[in-house]
Amino acid sequence: MAAMYNLVSNPKSLSSFLTNPPSIPCTNLTHVSFDQSQYCSSYSSITRTRPTRSSSSLFQSNAKKKKNPWLDPFDDGEDPDMEYGSLFADGKQEEDPRPPDDPDNPYGFLKFPAGYAVEIASLGLKVRGDVRRCCCVISGGVYENLLFFPTIQLLKDRYPGVQIDVLASERGKQTYEMNKNVRWANAYDPDDEWPEPAEYTDMLGVLRNRFYDMVLSTKLAGLGHAAFLFMTTARDKLSYVYPNVNAAGAGLLLTETFTPETLNLSDGGYYMYEQMNDWLGRPFRSVPRTPVPPLRVSLSKKVKEAVETKYTNAGAQKGKYIVIHGIQSDSKANMQSRGDHDSLLPIEVWADIAYEIREFTPVFVIPHEKERENVEEVVGEDASIVFITTPGQLAALINDSAGVIATNTAAIQLANARDKPSIALFCSEEKGKKFVPDAEEKKCTVISSKTGKLIDIDVEAVSNAMQTFNVSLALV
Amino acid sequence: MAEAIIGFTTVFKSCLQTRRFEANPSSRLPKQHSSSTLFRRSGQVEESKRKRGCLHKVNGLGDWPLMAVLVETMEGQRDMLTTKSIVHLSDDAIKNVYSWYIMFTVWGCLFFGSMKDPYYDSETYRGDGGDGTGNWIYEKQEIMEAEAREALWREELIEEIEEKVGGLKELEEAGKKEELVK
Repeated sequence: MAAMYNLVSNPKSLSSFLTNPPSIPCTNLTHVSFDQSQYCSSYSSITRTRPTRSSSSLFQSNAKKKKNPWLDPFDDGEDPDMEYGSLFADGKQEEDPRPPDDPDNPYGFLKFPAGYAVEIASLGLKVRGDVRRCCCVISGGVYENLLFFPTIQLLKDRYPGVQIDVLASERGKQTYEMNKNVRWANAYDPDDEWPEPAEYTDMLGVLRNRFYDMVLSTKLAGLGHAAFLFMTTARDKLSYVYPNVNAAGAGLLLTETFTPETLNLSDGGYYMYEQMNDWLGRPFRSVPRTPVPPLRVSLSKKVKEAVETKYTNAGAQKGKYIVIHGIQSDSKANMQSRGDHDSLLPIEVWADIAYEIREFTPVFVIPHEKERENVEEVVGEDASIVFITTPGQLAALINDSAGVIATNTAAIQLANARDKPSIALFCSEEKGKKFVPDAEEKKCTVISSKTGKLIDIDVEAVSNAMQTFNVSLALV
Repeated sequence: MAEAIIGFTTVFKSCLQTRRFEANPSSRLPKQHSSSTLFRRSGQVEESKRKRGCLHKVNGLGDWPLMAVLVETMEGQRDMLTTKSIVHLSDDAIKNVYSWYIMFTVWGCLFFGSMKDPYYDSETYRGDGGDGTGNWIYEKQEIMEAEAREALWREELIEEIEEKVGGLKELEEAGKKEELVK
């Protein structure tokens, strides 16, 4: 340090002393120390890496996300001399890891390939990063869970044969009625700030007993939630973390963290889980990047039948009605997104819109029985009203309809998932773009309010947009 | 009976003395003899009859509080000795007895009452199975949901296969038609 101070005292002689002169002439202490430390760090990193590595790769590795040295102090990165494919399994995992039965064996043993050692069989799978059991902890309600479906499909594509379990809130869990890729769905609200201790430990035990390979969480994790994920003893623990100081300490307990731009993940709209999808689908050795599939839902026969009786009782015929969803109510079953709070219209506005519908029966979906009176009062006694609270039934209703007119609720996403034409009413244009990207491909007409408030929506524009339903009917 | 002389002696035995006696039952007589009025008395009475016997009297019921000894003396007959004693339970002992009584009653009501409770044979209790111990919880709801999803998966798979098969059939038919045309 004494030498450095000497250097600073006469800055003119500085450049001649340094072996690699800085481009900017240094005039103060901070500059000198900065350059010095840079120089030192790059020097040490060069000595640590192999001489065969070029400096460009070094910069690339620096550009990558910084690894947390606390997680594994002996992790020096990938071994460049490692051979995959021959010694260790490469590519995607097999759907069923069980070796085939040996028909010649009288004891019913399996047909192990040559060199197969049961004791270390799982080691190769760890090197390859196999995921056999995966748990997704999903924060939020129906909308957020519905938008997580592509991620689940992505997991299934990337890790064939993976068993996916879900931990979601009471409301969110109902969504998995429509997902064939999920094995268990448990109700546990990760957003609960003060969970019941018994419930917390019970759920921890349940998760612990399932021996997960990977745990994903879409709740913004602080130390507490990270500890919860850590205690499930899963191998890979991925989670969103707070973008602020609340994330302190969470990174130590997680293998991968995603930092959203805002505190509300739902602000991202349809692509709210983009960071996570990006990481999950990343190219890995010989596996190319896995694309994120579109949102798809599947409907069981039982739900379809149940819903059919419902709308038949309400006086609608299959394929000849239009679903109206998004009536203002204080019910829990509104299926709004957390990223868009201004997304419900009072029944008076809906009545105006429904008045414009000519060739179809408008079917009003009420989230609570107490809304039935209001609807009957405003629209008329002969209005078709269907009481639906679960997303599965809503999807079945939309599936049998000619189209959907809805505000920004799960109904719009469900219509897109079932390829039904839809008219989406948004409070602003940005919200519309975020929640329904590529609207034209999805046969969705986005109508946004000019004033930024949903109540000022232009009813005429909606009636003009209704031509899409007629066109689709003509095509059918 | 009129000639009977009834000597009535009330004996109060102090607790302290008894305890000392019980503490060293093996110690020999002289000390013991003077220690308790009761034993001196009864010893004196009995001394005339069985001198051969051990002077040390072993009390069968250790701490049996003796209230009175009744001596009936009749002519030409042996003395008749009647001892009267009374059991005093201490407050603690009474409390213990009653608390055991209450506990047994409550447990008995619950246990024997539940043996005939139709609830435990009803569908709500036995419906999901179980062995009646109460140490079982079957998460039937979750299993049902998981099975429903599996069924959904199979349905979709069958649909996909049917679509593919239908496409193949169409192709085949198209091929046949072409052959016919040729």
